[in-house]
Amino acid sequence: MKKYILMPLLAVFALTAAAQDFDTDPTLELENAEKEVKFTVGARMMADAALYHTDFTPLQSGASITDARIRTSMTYKNWYFYADFGFGGGKFAQKNIFLQYSHQDNADNTHAIKVGYYNDPAGSMARNTSLGSYHFISRPGSSNALGEGRELGITYKFNNDHFMAYQGVFTENAYNKVEAGFNGITVAGRYLFRPIATSNQTLHVGVSGRFAHLGGGTVYNNVLKKTLHLGQPLETYVDQDEQFVSADLDWANNVANLGAEALYHNNKFFARGEFLYKHVTKKRDSYSLFIDAQNNIDGWGDIEWWENANKLKNNNFFGGYVEAGFQILGNGYKYNKQEGLLGGIDGKSLEIVARYNYTALNNLTDGEYYNAGRGHYYANGYMEDWPGTGATSVGGGNVHSVTVGMNYAFNKYALFMLDYTFHKLDKPFLPNDKNFHMAQARVQFTF
Amino acid sequence: MFKNLVRVGLLSTVLLATFTSCEEEQQFTNEKLDAKRVEVQVLNDDLAKVRDYVPLYAVIAHRGSTFWAPEETEASWRWAREMGADYLESDVQCTKDGIVLANHDENLKRTTNIENVFSENVPANRVEFYMSLGFTRADAEAQYGRDMAAFRPFYTLSYYYAELLMLDAGSWFNESSLEQARPTFKATENGRFENGHIVYSNGLYISAIQDQIAYAQGKRLIRDANGRRILTYKVKDEYKGMTLEQIYNAIKAKGQYNAKYMDFIEYDFANAYEADPEDTGNRPGIYVEFKESWLNPGNMEQRVYDVLAEQGWNIITNDPGDQPFYKNGKVNVGNTRGRVILQTFSFDALRRANDVFKGRIPMCYLLWISEPAYATDIAYDTPTGYAAFIKWAQDNGAHIIGPAISGAPNNYPEMNAPWQAYMIRRAGMINHPYSFDSWAQMTKYMGYYNYGWETEFDDLLRLEIPATPYCTSSYPSSVPVYMDGFFTNRTEMSLRYMIENGFRGNAQLPNPFHAGQKYDNSQANVIVPDAVATLERLGY
Repeated sequence: MKKYILMPLLAVFALTAAAQDFDTDPTLELENAEKEVKFTVGARMMADAALYHTDFTPLQSGASITDARIRTSMTYKNWYFYADFGFGGGKFAQKNIFLQYSHQDNADNTHAIKVGYYNDPAGSMARNTSLGSYHFISRPGSSNALGEGRELGITYKFNNDHFMAYQGVFTENAYNKVEAGFNGITVAGRYLFRPIATSNQTLHVGVSGRFAHLGGGTVYNNVLKKTLHLGQPLETYVDQDEQFVSADLDWANNVANLGAEALYHNNKFFARGEFLYKHVTKKRDSYSLFIDAQNNIDGWGDIEWWENANKLKNNNFFGGYVEAGFQILGNGYKYNKQEGLLGGIDGKSLEIVARYNYTALNNLTDGEYYNAGRGHYYANGYMEDWPGTGATSVGGGNVHSVTVGMNYAFNKYALFMLDYTFHKLDKPFLPNDKNFHMAQARVQFTF
Repeated sequence: MFKNLVRVGLLSTVLLATFTSCEEEQQFTNEKLDAKRVEVQVLNDDLAKVRDYVPLYAVIAHRGSTFWAPEETEASWRWAREMGADYLESDVQCTKDGIVLANHDENLKRTTNIENVFSENVPANRVEFYMSLGFTRADAEAQYGRDMAAFRPFYTLSYYYAELLMLDAGSWFNESSLEQARPTFKATENGRFENGHIVYSNGLYISAIQDQIAYAQGKRLIRDANGRRILTYKVKDEYKGMTLEQIYNAIKAKGQYNAKYMDFIEYDFANAYEADPEDTGNRPGIYVEFKESWLNPGNMEQRVYDVLAEQGWNIITNDPGDQPFYKNGKVNVGNTRGRVILQTFSFDALRRANDVFKGRIPMCYLLWISEPAYATDIAYDTPTGYAAFIKWAQDNGAHIIGPAISGAPNNYPEMNAPWQAYMIRRAGMINHPYSFDSWAQMTKYMGYYNYGWETEFDDLLRLEIPATPYCTSSYPSSVPVYMDGFFTNRTEMSLRYMIENGFRGNAQLPNPFHAGQKYDNSQANVIVPDAVATLERLGY
């Protein structure tokens, strides 16, 4: 009887608080065999401390509750419902919420249809891996800058020991909150091949692709202006300043992502890496903007002149990372076949890890001049008064990041992480910011 | 479990101690500290040599004066010269016939009666004007049609200089500055077209740069019995015998810079001036600003170069040699290598001026900021942004930075805070802020408020000023100084400040650009005439 009282109470608590997608088994499981229902509740807390040393622009060292979540799930026969909510940083946040129907056929192939708000399959391997299962305090910067996160949509996943095909259709915004335009449309897929797939050793290689037509934007001079923001913090959560590596791409229209990934693990060792590429096309109602600019005596001569001074260029960005870990003690690394992802630390263990990441958000055009006092590029190689700059360069910043770390799990629930990261930045707007050193520690508790 | 926690705690403590002991971390973006640690490009030796052509603590009469007399006219510049300003400041625009005006606004509505003299169309007598130069009516009417195509009402580039001399450039001042109004600033006769010829007005005129140079040389306009200036004009020899259409095509063929200008008329500036009987011997230099690059011909800088050369004021073509800035209590800047300083806000004008003058004439790059940033504004007024603009300025031949200053009555944005003045000094550049209207501004930027207090910029900006007999105090002073010269609308007030505080008439001034050397301006004028009495002496 007690469980029938406890379940709704926990459910109410879960929905009024908040949580996410961790892949550790929740501790609290309530099962009603008579009705074939299983209900779970879990939670997670991460508290980080960070010390930063920068050349010029300061980062705010300190400590922060970087994540706190409550998750809940319910399973009924082939149906699975999952929801988690975050309230780290003192703010409530909608995380995953989805419904999945899965079926295993006679050939041991799994078919799953999932609908709701969850990670885009082509969002990158790193972004699909729960932070609670990650072996570093932060995901690699390139996955944040160039990968994708949760989206509202529907997917179909095919899985067996050697193959995974996971694809679907999504919208841009879970709540249709767009000032103008429509909610956009995205198709995305991730495809893995596992030549090695045993209980203690896996090798997978994969590719992913994503195409998004942006729909939502703002109204600028009576024209729909769609802007794509790309950016990453410096692989830290205590100060999530994105100014060092970020770019806002005005007049973005379509976005194509391509990814390649590889992962290998055995009991004591893992290595994985990804390459991420993003192509952004642009589109603008130049004629309306040109006409709108004809409002004074210094108006433009003709639209060709205007367009030449306000050029559009499609952009290409790329990035990638390689990560490796060695478990000194523990129960060995595990692979989640259904998700195609490496699992987290399970039980008392000690590991050392290392990562190299590179993110390239500088997409420069040869011959253009940049002035940090103007924050603009100039097409002809020098600053000009008028008309416009005619430049197309994007100086979002290139960064090399190297991390070494150590993780110690006291038990199944409590984890201590320690990372040191060095970043080498090249961002024209911040010429004095070159070297960043950061030492970070995390205490994580999951149940 | 407990042991593990203790171990982790100890490890964390060691790491924390190691990290925090590295150095004192900057807790926030502090522009004062950043101004000291950002990389600032320093003037190279060639530019530094030209920098030294400019007198220290120069008093630059902004548009002659905007306070006492109609700006950039004979009245304001004669007054500034007689008051003892080191420079007569001006702005350059271009007329349809290519005359380089010394006039601030590209649109003449504010400072002339152009709306009363001309309509919003091409001047009705333009055809007759052409015919007065010997062209046929049909030819003139055809040209009139071409003039209409490129016409901007009330913009300097739409009018011939002779037409602009029909305007009264003084009466507006009497209407807008009631307390400083003088009947003599207003013309008694407007210009007109009479008997097929232009008749000039008889008051204050829109000035040509030749006029400004003449005033700096102790001259004034030659006028007839009715008070009208005498300035004859004719078709240039190279265009004689050609139709207007042929002239138009010939000018157009010279290139894009000339396409909309009809500079086929020659004015006799050589016989337009006479010795000013009220001249007391001051010979200031001129400080010329290139304005909106998109409104003036693309070879405006070359035109100014040529006019300066014609007038003997281009030190590249006519080197005056080493001359003192002051002689016998008089300003002598106009006879030195520092006689002309160029200035601009414009990126285009700075670059083109460098192409023409090649950094061999002192050049000031002016700074402005607004929200949102205008096409030539500094958009990021941070030490990093400031350093980027300093580098840009130097790379394009500038020796001086001209930042805006705050304070009434203009309430410009502050661009000469101590950290900014410090960065200009680090660059080895001269700092000429603009523009001063009050004693409070003088004291602020001459460090008076920090008198006696240690500041973080003392290493470069604090100066020890020995007392002179003209100082209000008989003791030496020690002040952080945030400028090396300045634009002022109140020459009388600014001169008095500089004299009373030891910055003028002093043989022992420290030279901030040459450590250990003295700067001697003891021969400068140290008596400031009464502003009103000077205007009256000059006949206003």
